[in-house]
Amino acid sequence: MASGAETMAVEAAAQSIEVLASAAAAKGLTAIGAGLAVGLTGIGSGLGEMSIGAAAVGAVAEEKEMFGLALLFTVLPETIVIFGLVVALLLLFS
Amino acid sequence: MFSPKPMSRLLIVASKEHIDPVIAELYRHNVFHIEDFIESGNEELKGVKIGNPSKGVDKTSSDLVRIRSIASTFNVTENDALGLQRAQNNVLRERIVQDLPQIAKEVEELLSKRSRLDSSIKDYEQRIELLKPFTGSPVPMDMLRGYDTISVIAGTFTGVFNLEVPHEEYSYSHKGTTFIILAVRTNDLATVEKYLLDIQFHKIAIPVEDGSPQEIIYQYEQEIASLKEKMDGVVKELEEIKEKQKDFLLASEELLSADVDRAEAPLRFATTDHAFAIEGWVPTENLTALHSDIEKITSGNVLISELDIDDPNNGPPVEYHNPDFAHPTELFIDVYSRPKYTEIDPSLIMAIVYPIMFGLILGDVGYGLILLIMSFGLRSLFHNEGGNQLLDVLRNCSISSIFFGIVFSEFLGFSLPWRPLWLSRHLNIGAGPEAHAIAEVSHIPELLVLSIWIGLFHITLGRILGARNAAKMDHGHHRQLAIYANIGWIMVMWGIVLLIWSFFAIPFMIDLTGLPGIVSGLNVASIAGAVILIVGIICIARENVLDLMEIPTIISNVLSYTRLIAVGLSSVAIAMVTNYISIGMIIEPNFELSVFGIVFFVVGIIVFLIGHTINTALGVIGGGLHPLRLHYVEFFTKFYRGGGKIYHPFGKVRKLTEIE
Repeated sequence: MASGAETMAVEAAAQSIEVLASAAAAKGLTAIGAGLAVGLTGIGSGLGEMSIGAAAVGAVAEEKEMFGLALLFTVLPETIVIFGLVVALLLLFS
Repeated sequence: MFSPKPMSRLLIVASKEHIDPVIAELYRHNVFHIEDFIESGNEELKGVKIGNPSKGVDKTSSDLVRIRSIASTFNVTENDALGLQRAQNNVLRERIVQDLPQIAKEVEELLSKRSRLDSSIKDYEQRIELLKPFTGSPVPMDMLRGYDTISVIAGTFTGVFNLEVPHEEYSYSHKGTTFIILAVRTNDLATVEKYLLDIQFHKIAIPVEDGSPQEIIYQYEQEIASLKEKMDGVVKELEEIKEKQKDFLLASEELLSADVDRAEAPLRFATTDHAFAIEGWVPTENLTALHSDIEKITSGNVLISELDIDDPNNGPPVEYHNPDFAHPTELFIDVYSRPKYTEIDPSLIMAIVYPIMFGLILGDVGYGLILLIMSFGLRSLFHNEGGNQLLDVLRNCSISSIFFGIVFSEFLGFSLPWRPLWLSRHLNIGAGPEAHAIAEVSHIPELLVLSIWIGLFHITLGRILGARNAAKMDHGHHRQLAIYANIGWIMVMWGIVLLIWSFFAIPFMIDLTGLPGIVSGLNVASIAGAVILIVGIICIARENVLDLMEIPTIISNVLSYTRLIAVGLSSVAIAMVTNYISIGMIIEPNFELSVFGIVFFVVGIIVFLIGHTINTALGVIGGGLHPLRLHYVEFFTKFYRGGGKIYHPFGKVRKLTEIE
C-alpha cells in the first residue's frame, strides 16, 4: 500500500514539473516571437528605407529645401518596425 | 497667433528725381517686400521697362569684391564682429577711398611673396628628394655626367644583378630593393639597356648638381630654413594687417553691401522715362509709418496706394506672427515648408505638443539634466538664428523630459526614491527578486493605450484644422465637399473606435461591451459606430472616391503614435542594461579594496559612462526625430499645405555701421 501512496506522490511531482516545464517553454516561445517581431520588421523597414534614403540624400544634395520632404519620405517605412516593437512589448508584458 | 502677419499690398509711384530718397527710406525701414517687375509684351505697359542701377555702382561693387576677397584671405567672419563698436559712415567712406587701395596693394604683395616663397621651398624639397638615393655615392655629383665614351645610369631593381659587359658599379640595398649607379662604355649601351629591361630595372634620372650629395642636401636644407623664416615674417605681417584692419573690413563690407543693394534696387522696379513704380508688401502694422515717412521725404510728390489682394493664398509673402514661446518651432515648420498666407500656422501647437512627446519618449531626470546643460553650454558655439532656435527647442524638450522623469521616477535608468507617480515603465532587467517586484507593477499595455489616445486627439485636431483650411482657402462647390470630407475622416476614425469599444474591453478605454445587444451580437454602440463609419465614408467619397483607398491608413496612423512609448521603452531598456552590466556585473561582485577590485571599479565606471553617452545620443535622436515624424507625417498631412512665399524685406539690420 505504501508503494501506492509513493507512486501517487511521484506522479503528482512529475505533473507539477511538467506544468513548470511547459510554462517555461511558453515563456521562451513568447520571447522568440517577440524577437522575431522586432527583427523581421526591422529588416523590412531597412529594406524600405534603403532605396528611399539614397534617393532622398540625392535630392537634398541637389536642392536643400527638399530636406523636410526627404526626411518625411525616408521615415515612412519606419512605422513597420514600430509595429513590430509594439507587438513584442505586448507579447512580453501583457 | 495661428495665422501669419497681416500684409498690405502697396504701390508707390513717383517721379524719377525722388528715386534715391525713396529707396533709402524703404531700405531704412527694412519692412518692404519688393515684388520684382517683370517686363512683358503687354500692350498696356508699353514703354515701361525695368530701371537702371544708380551711377557709381560699378566702383562700389568692385570695392566690395576687393574687401570680400581680402576678408576671405584673412578668414574674417561675422563671429569676429561680436562686440565691435559701430563705425561712423563718413569716416568709413573716407577710409575706403584713401586706405583701401593701399591695404589691397599691401595684401596683394604679401600674398604673392608668400606664394613665391612657398614655391621655392617646394622646389628645394623636391631637389632634396631627388638627391636622397645618391647620398652614399662615392663620387661627387658632377662626376656622374659629361663623358664622351662613358654612360652613367642610376636606378633600382629587385633580385640579382649579373651584367656581363665591363662596367663599374656602386650599389646598396634597402628592404629588398637595390639602388645602383652604373658606369658603362657608351658602345655597350644597347646591350646594357636590353639587360636592364629584362631585370625590370627602374631608371632614376641623375640630378644635375655639383659636389657631394650630402653637402648639397645640407645646403638646401639651410636654404629652406631661411625661406621658412622669411615666410613666418610674411605670415606675421599678414596677421598684423588682419588684426589692424579687421574692424574696418567688416564695417566697410556692411556699408558697401548696403550701398550696392540700394544702387541695384531699380532693377526690380518698373520705370518710364520720367517716373518709377514699385509694387510690394508691407506688414499692415508698419504701413502708416512707412507711408508718412515716404510722403515726408518726397514732400508729398508721391502716389502711394493700397491695392487689393488678388490671390490671398499665394500672393502675400508670409512672415510668422507667433508669441516668443513658439518662435523656436518655426524652424521645424520652415524645414517642412512655409505656410501659405491664408492657412493655419501650426508653430504654436507644435511648440506645445512636440516637447510633451519628447518628454514621453525620454522621460528621465538624468538625461533631461544633461540635455538642459547642453542646451545652455552649446550656445556659445552657435551665433546664427537657426542654431539658437534648435537649442531653444532642446531646452524646452529637456524641461519636459525632467518633468516626465519625475512622473516615471527615472534617473539614468535607476529608480528615484519614490514610486512612479502614475504609470510605471520600469523593466525587469537585472533578474533580481526586487526587479521582479517592480516588473509586476509596470503598466506597459496601459501606456500604449495612452499613446493611442494621444494619436486619436492629435489626428482629430489635424482634421479639424483641415476643415478650417478648406473653409478659408478653397472656393465654390469644392470648398463644401472638402469641409465635409475632413469631418468624414473624423467620423470614420471615431466610428472604428466605437466599434472596437463595443467588441473589446481595453484598459484605459471606454468599455461598451456590456451594453444591451440589439441584433445578432451587435449592441447599441456597435450600431452607432457602424452608422457613423458609413456616413463618414459617404462624406469622403463625395469629395474623391479614390480617397477611400486611404481608409486603412487611419489605423496605421493612430497605431503609429505607440512609438511614443515603444521608443521610450527601448531607451529605458538600454539605460537599465548599462546599469546592470556596469554595476551589477562588473563593480558589485568584485567590490573589495585591492588592485583587482579597483581595476574592475574603473572598468565598470567606463562602461557606465560609454553606455549612458550612447544612450543620451540615441535619446536625442529618437526623442527628437520620432515626434518630428509624427508631426510631419501623421499630423501635417491632415491639413497642412505649405509652399508660402517667404517674406524678405528690402533692407538690412545694421550691426557695425550707422543707419542712414
